[in-house]
Parts: sequence; structure tokens; C-alpha cells
Amino acid sequence: MTTKDAMIEFRDVHKYYGDYHALRGITATIRPGEFFSLLGPSGCGKTTLLRTIAGFEDISSGAVLVDGRDMAGVPANKRPTNMVFQSYAIFPHLSVEENVGFGLRRDPRSKDEKARAVAEALEMVGLKGYGKRAAHALSGGQRQRVALARALILKPKVLLLDEPLSALDKKMREQMQVELIRLQRQVGITFILVTHDQEEALVMSDRIAVMFEGEIAQLADPETLYRRPNSRKVADFIGTMNFLPARVLEENAGAVEIEAAGFGRIHVDASQVMGGATAEGATVGFRPETLTILYEGSAATDRESMATIEEVVYFGDMTYYDVKIDGTETPVRISMRNVFGRPVLDRGARARVGWSPGALVLFR
Amino acid sequence: MASSSGKSAEGRSEAASGLLLVSPTLIYAVLLLAAPLVTVLIYSLSLEGGGFGFDNYVTAWSDRINQLLIIRSLTVSLSVTLVTVLLAYPVAYFVSFYVKPERKSLWLFLITIPFWTSYLIRVFLWKVILGFNGVINSGLMSIGIIDEPLQAINYNVPALVMTLAHAYAPFAILPIFVALEKIDRSFLEAGRDLGESQLMTFFRVTLPLSMPGVIAAVLIVFIPTVGDYVTPDLIGGGKLPMIANRIEGTLLKQNNRELGSAIAVGAMIVVAVVSIVFLLLNRRFLKGAK
Repeated sequence: MTTKDAMIEFRDVHKYYGDYHALRGITATIRPGEFFSLLGPSGCGKTTLLRTIAGFEDISSGAVLVDGRDMAGVPANKRPTNMVFQSYAIFPHLSVEENVGFGLRRDPRSKDEKARAVAEALEMVGLKGYGKRAAHALSGGQRQRVALARALILKPKVLLLDEPLSALDKKMREQMQVELIRLQRQVGITFILVTHDQEEALVMSDRIAVMFEGEIAQLADPETLYRRPNSRKVADFIGTMNFLPARVLEENAGAVEIEAAGFGRIHVDASQVMGGATAEGATVGFRPETLTILYEGSAATDRESMATIEEVVYFGDMTYYDVKIDGTETPVRISMRNVFGRPVLDRGARARVGWSPGALVLFR
Repeated sequence: MASSSGKSAEGRSEAASGLLLVSPTLIYAVLLLAAPLVTVLIYSLSLEGGGFGFDNYVTAWSDRINQLLIIRSLTVSLSVTLVTVLLAYPVAYFVSFYVKPERKSLWLFLITIPFWTSYLIRVFLWKVILGFNGVINSGLMSIGIIDEPLQAINYNVPALVMTLAHAYAPFAILPIFVALEKIDRSFLEAGRDLGESQLMTFFRVTLPLSMPGVIAAVLIVFIPTVGDYVTPDLIGGGKLPMIANRIEGTLLKQNNRELGSAIAVGAMIVVAVVSIVFLLLNRRFLKGAK
């Protein structure tokens, strides 16, 4: 019963380390040609899951299928996957081209053809002419490129990336994100990225599986994940979200009428109602950019509340305001794009805050 | 200007305190290592009728016996080195890769147990095992496999090699173990990931990355065994002298300091040349190991 559009299939995968239950029933499908991310805090099992695909980790029960084939009993060197390690694992005793050509030993092609393949792979990752260099003379970013070339030259069905950008500085990381996306489109191979950086996952992925404590909490595309997180935990992990307590008044075929302090009565559509509330009970959540501070002549919004500005954080292109909406206790964060000619408000100022019921999510 | 002169003064005092720190060792090294070496060198170059020259060297190394003895010494020590390193590598590999981290120090401790007895006693032990009336011979005779003691296991080069290899095994295991410990395990996973079996990953990744340790082990075993002179005396029963026995005989028994020194310096040069070859090999491997 292999699905045609499944490159990787996890079927109820469990993994125990002694008593520790590292993977708790992972079931998911990764499509061919997809840029897929496993996102979660450290210790959530994302790297373990990636390593079960590569063959470095045995599973306790369940099945991992790659391109329709059960990988049980298939050793790492016989799997159609290649990995870019977190440490890059560039062999220090070999030159750059020897590293890139490492996996070609049993390739039947002639020496010249292999050398050409190595040169092409190096050019693809932007390291043309670096072949003769010693591996230890490379910078972090260059090592990463060598690791990519070394894996991609073998034309794997799946490329596994274990936190490949975490060791790079911010500028380099952003540049490599863009390059990885370009590379993935160019080669058309399924990429699976493990990361704890939610921004990175949002920027790069077609779909993301958010993992907590050995389970997938939500598997969705970046926009759904951001706009419609299915639990408060996911919402908290991805980006910033404001939470305010709410009281459910009545329920009608999935849609809910609620009352939230400072916002009044709100009608919440069924598509905005999520589970995954915490012990505190029902909570409304909204992203900082879904609230707007209204100036004279601003376009009207569905609803308005009055608020006092408690804190102003100026970022150049953006300003973050922490405001206390009248009738509430906890301040909420509002992010505003700075526009020429529009003043940044001061601490303590009164402001009109505009919002729309359609942008919020209810966790209950 | 002021700050730069201040810095250099600080540098000077730092150098002075550094010198003070090493001075006991330095005095020790000069008095007990450098001075005797220089003395031997001077002896080897002094001529009978006064003055200096290379005559002693010519006499020493045109002697067929000395040539044969240095060749035997090299054969024995290279064999010991080969046997020791080949046997030590699997032990080091096992401790590094298969022993749980919390048990590793216990294993290293166990490996050093042979050092609890003196080297002389260990050599005698091998005599008891391999000797004419030793454990092996009398054992085999008592169960009737052989009628008279085997000559093949005593007073010969293999017996010498066996004894020395046993004595030097821990010295070889430790540097190889350290080199294996330093290998990032993700290199081995990368080898597997890139399509190589466990065996090929060993030959293409683990072995080259552990070469610095292997070369260190080679030097640690090779250099002292060339000059060993207790073992050939005891195991060889006086019939298997090596170059060190010859040096002792010439210096002490014949009381010929000049000739003895010339043999000693010559032997040192041979050891130095072989060691430098190994060191150059080491450099090749160390180059990339960062």
C-alpha cells in the first residue's frame, strides 16, 4: 500500500533508549521533491527521526519507508539518502575534491568523468576552483558547501540536513538559506531539514512538522502553521503570539461566541477554533501584526479598542509597542511597520488599536 | 611608545619567570642528558695519539660483527614494533569504540597492570615459559607430544621479539587509543552515509585519522628496543647479542672508550635516521588533522 506521492513514510515509529521514549508513534508522509522541515526544541526527537531515515538509528517499532521501500535491515551505506552533518564531518585528511569524490569509489565511470563530476558539484555549490585546497583551511560556510557537494554528487533520493546552519553567523546563515532553496529547486531532490530555528523553517520549507517530546504536534505548510497553529504550544513556539483569557458564551455548530476582556464579544468562526488549550482554559491568540495602531486617517478596521502604550521598542524598519488594552491586565505586543511621515508614539501615550476577529485564533 | 616599552618589559619578566620555572628541568637535562652525549661524542672523535678524527668510526663500522649486530638490532626492533603495533591497534580500537565511556579508564588501568612488576621479572617470566626446561617444553613433554625440549622457542630472535613485544604493548596501546578517541564519530557516520561498508570506512577514514597515534606508537616502541641490552642477555642467553651488548663489551670489558663511543654514536645516527623517516610520515598525516 505504498502511496505514489510519498518519498518518505513513517508508520507509527517508536524509539526507546532504555526507558526513555524518544519517538512516540510518528506517522507522517513526506512528498517527493518537497523541502520538508522537522522543527522543535532540543530534545524533541527531530534529529533522532532524521537519523532513522539515514540508518544511523534503529527504530523500536513501526516502519520507515524510503521511496516505497521498507528500510528495516538496510544499512546506512545501502540507503538512497545522504546527509549533511551538523559538524559537516569534512574529512580532515583529504582535500576538498577528495572529500567531494569520497562516495564515487565504486562508481563505474572513468577517472576523468569522475573528476568532471566533482568539479561540477563544486561549481554548483559556488566553490569552483577550490578542489585542491586542504579541508582544514576552509571556513565554516565553505565546509558546509563541501558537505552539500559531497552529498549531492551521489544523486540521492533524499538529502538529509541536520541543523546545517546552526554553526554559521547570522549573515552567512541568511545567505545559505537562500542558496539551499535555490539548490533544492535546481536538483529537485527531496530535502529534509532538522532545525530548532522557527524562522529558518518558515523561510525555507514547503511543509513543516513541529515536534514536541517525541511527537508531531502539527504538520502543515508555513502559512497555516503561522496563522492557524493547532495548539497554544505550537503558537508559542512559532513566532510571537499574544494570549488573552476568554470566556465561551455560546457554541453553534463549531462556531463560538466568546467574551474577552478589552475586546468585548467576538464571534469566532469554526476554522479559528483550535484545541490545545493549557490549564488556564480558553485563550484567544493573535499575532503582533494583526493589531494596528490607528492614526488620523488610517483605514478603518472591523473593530477598535482603546489602549495605553507601555513600552516602545524601535527596530528601524519596525516598531514594537507593548500596549495595555483598557480593561485588561497583561500587555500585548503590536508590531508596526514604520512609514515615512508617521511618528513613532511615545511611552504612556493613548492609542486606538484596530483589529479584526478573523485574524485571531481560539484555543479551548 | 610608553606602552610598547612597558609591554616589552612585561614580556622580559614573563620570559624570566618562565626560565625560572623550567630551570630545574633545564639543569637536569643539560647535566644528565646533554653533557654525557657531548662526552661520548668527544670520546668517539679522539684519536689514540691525540687530536681528533673519524678513525674510530672507520674501525668500528668496517668491523663485520658490528655491521651484523646493528642489522640484528634493527631487525629485532622493527619486528617488535610491527608485532606490538599490530597487536596494540585492535586493543586500542576495542577500548575506544566498544567500551562504555565510564569504563574506559578502568580498561586503561588494567592495561598498565604489567608495569606493576619490574621489567627484569617479566623477562625472567618469559624465560620460565620459553626456556629449555620451561613451562611449554615440560608441558608438551609430560603429555607426550614431544620427546625432547624444542630448541625453536628459546635463545632465538622470535623469543626475543615475543618478550619485547609483551613489554612494550601498553606503550603502543595508549597513543593509538588517544588518537582514536580524538576522531569525531560523525566522520565514521559520514563514511557509511557516503556508501562505504564498515570495513572500508575503517580503511578510508578511521585508519588514516588514527595514523598520528600509530606513528607515535611506532617511535615509542622502536627507539628503546634498538638499544635494549637486558633482554638479549637474558632471553638470548648471551648467544644473541645486539648492538647495545657490543657497546657495553667494548666500553667496559675491553675498556676501549673511543671505539665504544664510536659504535654508540653510529647506532644513534642509524636510529635517528629511521625515526626521522617515521616522523616525516607522521607530518604527512598530521598536516590535515586539525
